[in-house]
Amino acid sequence: MTRPIPVPNEWTRPFWDAARRGVLQLQRCQACKHFQHPPYATCVRCMATDLAFEPVSGKGAIYAYTIMYHSGDKRFAAAIPYASIIVELDDAPGALLAANLLEAPYTEAKVGRRVEVVFQPLNDEFTLPQFRLARDGR
Amino acid sequence: MWEHRCKVAVSGVGFSRVTRSAEVPLAAHALEAVKGAVADSGLAMSDIDGLATYPELPATGHAVVDGVTIVSVNCMMAMLKLPNLSWHVQVETVNIGGAVQQAVNALLAGVCRYAVVWRAMHNPKGTYQNLPGTYAHGASQFTAPYGFGGPGQGMAVAYTRWLERHGQRREKMATLAVTQRRHSHKNPHAYFCGQPLTREDYLNSRMVAYPFCLYDCDIPVQGAVAIVLTAADRGRDLRPRPAYIAGYGQRLAFEVAGRIGSLSSYMEGGKSSSRLTWERSGFAPKDVDVAQIYDGFSASVIYGLESYGFCKEGEALDFIQDGRIELDGELPLNTFGGSLSTGRIHGLWHIIEGALQASGRAGERQVKDVHVSFVGASAPIVQGTTFIFVDEPY
Repeated sequence: MTRPIPVPNEWTRPFWDAARRGVLQLQRCQACKHFQHPPYATCVRCMATDLAFEPVSGKGAIYAYTIMYHSGDKRFAAAIPYASIIVELDDAPGALLAANLLEAPYTEAKVGRRVEVVFQPLNDEFTLPQFRLARDGR
Repeated sequence: MWEHRCKVAVSGVGFSRVTRSAEVPLAAHALEAVKGAVADSGLAMSDIDGLATYPELPATGHAVVDGVTIVSVNCMMAMLKLPNLSWHVQVETVNIGGAVQQAVNALLAGVCRYAVVWRAMHNPKGTYQNLPGTYAHGASQFTAPYGFGGPGQGMAVAYTRWLERHGQRREKMATLAVTQRRHSHKNPHAYFCGQPLTREDYLNSRMVAYPFCLYDCDIPVQGAVAIVLTAADRGRDLRPRPAYIAGYGQRLAFEVAGRIGSLSSYMEGGKSSSRLTWERSGFAPKDVDVAQIYDGFSASVIYGLESYGFCKEGEALDFIQDGRIELDGELPLNTFGGSLSTGRIHGLWHIIEGALQASGRAGERQVKDVHVSFVGASAPIVQGTTFIFVDEPY
């Protein structure tokens, strides 16, 4: 499969820079301490503009998922069926991360199942935060 | 209640041919629909003095060519050369329902007398969501690298959350697809008119993006529909019985682009839009005689039924069973066939059917004794608008 390569902008570059170092960092409002994802120009909870990226544990649960069977997206046609999941992190309630479920058959994707972050290099410049089922089940 | 309730009415509707692919330029479809709506009203084209649309092409990766893949207000102005044109608008945030609402506002403000609103939809050749790009820009940088390639998946993730949180089964959705298909057999304009769909067809159909199978998705088509709106006192003098607009609303919340999968944001969109419509009209869900709820993907109907208040959260798949949404049921639903069976022309067809049912002009599929006709014209979160049409001012 040929995954599209992210093109960072001024809001999102710290997320990708951290991922390349094997660290999951999310944007956090320095005023109200709310984590948000995707990154944005302002805090969507309190309207503050003092935002910084801070590391999170990478543990969470599958919030939602879909199994893709349609080959319309040619870049992923060879991978179908595959699980695209949405993860809600323990440290950042409400910040929803898209990912794939790695190291498990797609049938293992279920709402509420515990997952942990892993890092999947895309090329020399970009690494994707991804998720697998939590090893200790918690 | 809204002081302007029932002061604007739908006085005519029009349809183009609906085809699977583009045989003539889209502008020809739009013109056919607009001419039809004007003729249905008993007006001459020269009477039309207001124009509104939402022209977006929802397919990605295809060129936007005015007159071919979209039909803008400028394109319509060039075709019609209206001698008395006095107002026009092209909306962006809330799909075609927003264009209808702007036309209502223009009529209330007295800046035009007969406004035409159309929705023309192109079905491009090849893959609908054409995503050949090497790079993921903007909001898609957090979704496209993970294989989120189109709106279907964005809808599907919220649907799995809904199903699994509420302990529900996707197989129950067969009732919606099959009932709407049966309704469409009484709508000669519907793409699937005359083509049966059974429960077994639904249950055996190929999966697209789980939990959506083929029959959970509307079918891309080429076609257009249109309406004429006018002030209620003028509407009464026109040929057909008018359908009076008792209230409308639009969704008042929006998610940061790229944040997908949130079920609660669908619910908030629908709640905020319908609250305005219930308050302005003075009606409640229990008063509704017939409902049209946008069904680009089947799950939109579920979010709609729950967020508009027709049933409790988690109950919509049970609510649609046991004949409740049949033409003689407790809440006849998507009585024209919905987008699932008429084809993807977005919410203006839902609005048209809501108006036809209120004015008693729905022909073979007319629901008995309709006084209050509800419409949810787009997916509740994305571009949700809601309307109530009534048969008589009150």
